[in-house]
Amino acid sequence: MTAYLLNLAQLAAIFGLLAASLNVLVGYGGIFSVAHAVFFGFGAYAGAQIALNVAPDVLLVSAAGGLVAGVLSLALALPALRVRGEYFVVASLGLQMVATTAFTEAEPVTGGLGGLVGIPPPQLLGLSLASPWAFLAVCLAALFGGLAVMRLLMRGSFGRSLMALRDSESAAEAFGKNVALLKTLAVALGCAIAGVAGGLFALQMAFVNVESFTLDQSVLVLAMVIVGGAGTLAGPLVGTLLLLLLPAALSFLPGIPPTEIGAVQQAIYGLAMTLLMIFRPAGLAGRAQGKR
Amino acid sequence: MLLAQLLVSGIQTGLLYALTAAGFALIFGATRIFHFAHGAAYALAGYGFVFAVRAGWSWPLAALLATVLAVGFGLFMDAFVYRPIQRHTGSFFTVFVAAFGVVIVVQSGIEIGFGRAFVAVTSSLTRASAVLPGLYLARAFWIALGAAAVLFGALGLFLARTRTGIALRALAENPDLLRAYGLSARRLSALAFALGSALAVPGAVLGAATTGLSPSVASHVMLVSLAASVVGGIGSLRGAAAGGLVLGVAENLVVSVLDTQWSEAAGFVVLFAFILFRPRGIFGAALAR
Amino acid sequence: MTPQAMTPPLAVRGLAKHFGGLAAVQGVDLDLPAGLITALVGPNGAGKTTLFNLITGALAPDAGDVLLDGARLGPTTPRQIARRGVARSFQDLRLFDHMSAGENVLAAIEPAAWFWQPGDAAARRAAAAAALADTGLTAAAGALAADLAYAERKFLSLARILATGARIWLLDEPASGLDPASRARFVALLRAAAGRGITVCLIEHNLDIVTELADRIVFLDQGRKLAEGAPEAILRDPALAAIYFGDRA
Repeated sequence: MTAYLLNLAQLAAIFGLLAASLNVLVGYGGIFSVAHAVFFGFGAYAGAQIALNVAPDVLLVSAAGGLVAGVLSLALALPALRVRGEYFVVASLGLQMVATTAFTEAEPVTGGLGGLVGIPPPQLLGLSLASPWAFLAVCLAALFGGLAVMRLLMRGSFGRSLMALRDSESAAEAFGKNVALLKTLAVALGCAIAGVAGGLFALQMAFVNVESFTLDQSVLVLAMVIVGGAGTLAGPLVGTLLLLLLPAALSFLPGIPPTEIGAVQQAIYGLAMTLLMIFRPAGLAGRAQGKR
Repeated sequence: MLLAQLLVSGIQTGLLYALTAAGFALIFGATRIFHFAHGAAYALAGYGFVFAVRAGWSWPLAALLATVLAVGFGLFMDAFVYRPIQRHTGSFFTVFVAAFGVVIVVQSGIEIGFGRAFVAVTSSLTRASAVLPGLYLARAFWIALGAAAVLFGALGLFLARTRTGIALRALAENPDLLRAYGLSARRLSALAFALGSALAVPGAVLGAATTGLSPSVASHVMLVSLAASVVGGIGSLRGAAAGGLVLGVAENLVVSVLDTQWSEAAGFVVLFAFILFRPRGIFGAALAR
Repeated sequence: MTPQAMTPPLAVRGLAKHFGGLAAVQGVDLDLPAGLITALVGPNGAGKTTLFNLITGALAPDAGDVLLDGARLGPTTPRQIARRGVARSFQDLRLFDHMSAGENVLAAIEPAAWFWQPGDAAARRAAAAAALADTGLTAAAGALAADLAYAERKFLSLARILATGARIWLLDEPASGLDPASRARFVALLRAAAGRGITVCLIEHNLDIVTELADRIVFLDQGRKLAEGAPEAILRDPALAAIYFGDRA
């Protein structure tokens, strides 16, 4: 039981970081990406390769994950500069579909459908982190470190500029803001942090495959942000906890055959997304009044 | 000949995509709602058809049930999801998330009811006959061609010649015109959802009878409709139809150079290229920025 | 002192813009002298907002030039224009609705896109606070822009411009719909700005405000400049009045 809870806590920290990083794009930048799992995946594959071929050091792995995802985030920044609104959502959907195929097909790098297996237990500067408690501490440190960085940036002039262009791009530009650079930086920041989360995820799971980086995952992360409340600091964490605890809670409910839990869980969070958008579009942690 | 064969199956896929995407474009053109759940109408129609045929219904009756399901779903989305949201915010992202939630619910409902594997009804539609040496055409091809010709013809006449059709096209641009015509925007919006959703039915029924359906068909069809609309030019019926055709052909032709795994991705490479280099699409007017 | 004799901070020459078959602006010449308030007046569709969009680089002209301090500008963007000291407001305000009033003003004076801003953060906070105080919004500084009352939103759009320290202000119907008391405060703010040497150009439909505020009127109709001069002279011209009010009848 303790092992199960520790595992869940590690995942919650990793997904909390992932959801918070998406919040930079969606909540602050108004860049509605449905391809965040792609950058989570870039980070995870890069981290796994480093862990397998160099060393399973947490710092090295997350740095590699963040760097690779941050650089490749240009694939998302380009359409973000060209189009907005629905068009961008469609573009990011397209990116997600192409990336899923690429992950499946690029066997030398990603291991294909089978994925990369046998990732060694994590270390930190030579110290073993094989104990779940130690690794949980690392995940929590990454979560709160990441949150601190994002909080600093989002409460500062960068966050203000980002929100300004989210609320009115033309007005932001009329006050001298470089919209293209702002969007590119926001995408790079959000995706790099997603890559760090991906690196940790690879170490946590000890194996990675394409199943974790599909459209379903992108939508789950998006749901975490939306359910919790986009554009708030606490929102993504609230959403992550709710959506990660949901399957755990469902498994204790009587009357649901275990084989159907996945589908029932999906249906519940799909329904939650729809109802929330109808009745409380700002999310649980957001302002009750969704004025625009 | 392989290329010709692939082209022919590309056209068959493309015609059905074209109809489905035209439904999406009709809804968007009339209501400015980006109906992200359009694929769910397709999935409901397809699975409804499979269910009815398995229960021993005749095919026409099963197709009727499929139509009722698709139209009912469209009307439901209009009345109970999109309209309440537009009353308070109308932000496109709220609409997107709500619609995506519905897609997830439909998809998992289908998983619970029918399982995750492919389902299909057995038919003779895929039996092909040679029209040229080495070039085979299945009966499904002629049905797709016929359905597309009849439905696009009827739709074109309806939109160009009837008062309601003209009003439907004008709904988004010029609400004043409606008042002058004495028509209700609400009823027209419902009509757009009903017609648009019905256009997904031929693809769904033929899909069930040929390649088969899986629960993820809802998001696949949604993506295809979106991609076709962007490639063709959002809101343009002609554009969506052309876009659908282009995507269907691209998906099939790519098999001649790459692994079949890439066939779905090919469509999205086309989409991505359009968004980067010609966001207004083939027929679209200048994109309002 | 005759400001007209000096090179105007902002001028346009032969500016033209077509939308499809419609000529929105056709060969307009305009001088905006320093320290004066110029009102652009004309019926709907006269091309007033289009003129602003051309000056600020939001639209590219088909022909003609924008001159800053007598120098031709060439193709430009809203961002570059803003950095040259030209600030504008929008008819629909375009406030940053989900940010507080204070953040709205602060965001307007933080142009750098990098993760941090160069320069003195304390000075920027002081400038923002001063702009809020001048526009009477100090008490509302913490409220979300979307939650402000109509008049407060109008003042906030002015506070954003005030804080930038821009020397040329282009204001699109800044005072429309204000109650008399707010309007008086608004007029005083613009008068004070002009007194400091700021070049103000505003689009205004309400002729009472125009008479109260403007030093000069430029009358536009169907994209052409029909007349310019002192308010009394322009507003007394029966031909112009026929065009202006004829449109409304």
